[in-house]
Amino acid sequence: VTWASPPEAWQAAPAGRRTSPRVVAVHTVTFRQARQFVPVLIPIAAATGFRGGTPMIVIAVVAITLLSLAAAALSWSRFSYLDGPTSVVVTRGLLARSVRTVPNDRVRGVEVEAPALHRLFGLVRVRIDAAAGSVTGDGEELVIDGVTRAEGNRLRTSVLAPGSSAPAAGVTAPDEEEIARFDNRWLLYAPVVGSYLALPLAAVGALLRLAEELPRRFRPQLDEPDLSDAQLLVFTLAAALLLLVVGSVVGAALVNWRFRLVRRGGALVAARGLVTRRHTELEIDRIRGGTLSEGLGMRLVGAARTTALVTGLGEAARRGQLLPLGPRLQAEALLHRLVDDPGPLLPHPTAALRRRIGRAVAAGLLVTALGVVATAALGWWWVLALGAVLTALGVPLGLGRYAALGHRAGPRSFTVRSGWLVREQAVLQRRAVVGWQVRQTFFQRRAGVATVVACVGAGAGGYAAVDMAADDIAAFTVAASGPWARAFHRP
Amino acid sequence: MIPAPVREPAWQVSRSAIGLWVVQGLISSIVWAAAVGIGMLVVPVEVGGPVPVLREAAPVVVAVYAVVVTGVRPFIRHRVHRWEITADAVHALTGWLNRTWTLVPVSRIQTVDVTRGAMQQMFGLASVAVLTASSQGTVLIPHLEADVAQRVADDLAHRAEAVRDEAT
Repeated sequence: VTWASPPEAWQAAPAGRRTSPRVVAVHTVTFRQARQFVPVLIPIAAATGFRGGTPMIVIAVVAITLLSLAAAALSWSRFSYLDGPTSVVVTRGLLARSVRTVPNDRVRGVEVEAPALHRLFGLVRVRIDAAAGSVTGDGEELVIDGVTRAEGNRLRTSVLAPGSSAPAAGVTAPDEEEIARFDNRWLLYAPVVGSYLALPLAAVGALLRLAEELPRRFRPQLDEPDLSDAQLLVFTLAAALLLLVVGSVVGAALVNWRFRLVRRGGALVAARGLVTRRHTELEIDRIRGGTLSEGLGMRLVGAARTTALVTGLGEAARRGQLLPLGPRLQAEALLHRLVDDPGPLLPHPTAALRRRIGRAVAAGLLVTALGVVATAALGWWWVLALGAVLTALGVPLGLGRYAALGHRAGPRSFTVRSGWLVREQAVLQRRAVVGWQVRQTFFQRRAGVATVVACVGAGAGGYAAVDMAADDIAAFTVAASGPWARAFHRP
Repeated sequence: MIPAPVREPAWQVSRSAIGLWVVQGLISSIVWAAAVGIGMLVVPVEVGGPVPVLREAAPVVVAVYAVVVTGVRPFIRHRVHRWEITADAVHALTGWLNRTWTLVPVSRIQTVDVTRGAMQQMFGLASVAVLTASSQGTVLIPHLEADVAQRVADDLAHRAEAVRDEAT
């Protein structure tokens, strides 16, 4: 057997592209490669005793920096990438060479991010998200670190543009349309959003850990605070609260600064961030719907977040965000641009309300029952009181959970909603459904309700309509997916 | 009799599955009985607290459990478990107290797996798993006769190949 020409992979690979040499400087400063030597260096330093004062420290710092420079230069020289017409190839490795090839049709998204230091040198980092196999749900990622901004943009369009190698920049500007833009006033919503409140707490935690590591003589000497002073206590609490509020706003500003969502050709491009600027590109063809989520605090001030459901997108919760934080009306309008509005939600039957309240007060009733025993046997009346309070609080909780429930099938899309702490409404295209699951517990069967899960190859993998009337299910599934679901119809 | 929320699939799983479920129930009963027996040997009555009550109650609980999982559950499961392959979808019902219906169109099938566990092999059984792009959209048809399972899997894989639309 003779081949007219050997298979493509056997031909001498064309020379790959290199990342910018400036990235060596970035990696030297951040000790990116040298970091892996730290576990080795610490025992050496400990064994030699590390005496000698300031000169020794200077020498050590210079040596480590040189080491870092050498490591960064070496790994730069061994790294190359090539975006061919059909696939992206990344070659890397200091001793063992590794070559990774990702076919273009497996690329699910490209993210161009510019951390602060990279921006100083005019560089960006490109992450290419490739779905390895959608069964496991985790994709693979190619990282090309340290190309110029122009090259990053060229790479993004070249990898994502279907069937074309890099279109000459500037010749045909793809039609561009701004869809959403972040209004800085929306930052004021941040203190009621759980994830942004967590930011200052995490920062304080990191600071405290750092303080623990400091040698004793660098730590400030503080007197034990006098906790009996009510004025001081109130002042401290107020200061902490203020810090939390300001911290959450600052955190939200860092992440969402100058957020912009544009449609460029067949893709949605979201750009955001103050220190690290990220560009995320989502293919419109792969969008199957979206979610509108409102936390408990966000509902009080009328704020919401919109996320796109994209098939095969890794880290979907962050990358799919189309409006990270904004007024509910705006978020809703954006969601309905993505997928047709199926109409107002239909409420679930009264049995669902009974079940929600029953479940919400169950814990309270249990504590109350224990409280009766405890009061009789040990005189612990406070257990009884706690049980009564919990039971009473369970009623509004149950009502709130019921109010969140709803579903609706429209002509080309459908929606389901549930959740109380974070209320999430998913609106999905009919073609998004890859299967239906109907679950009915023993108690649901007696109440004449069941939970219907629309299985989707995007986002969380499934979106549930909790406690739907059992008789409505067959009609809903057919209306929301297709004639194949008629298998659910009772004869 | 409360009607099911959606239609039940037409076909039952193999009768040998009852034997398999009885053996599985027997094994887990023996494990629990052994655990309770060891507990009664190790923990003396004199410890006080709830121990004397537990010593009385634990054997009763294990006995009831053993009767349910060997004498009741396998038979209810066999009556509940059903499956069917219609012209354009795979439909399965599993469970005993809580029930789950799963329906997946043939056009969205990504892979079809046949698995034969060690104990399934003794009873000549096999399970078919139909996977889609969604982590939650997996249809599991447990305990079919091995040759039926293989034929079903081959047929489904073949048809999925022919009618597959976009893989998601």
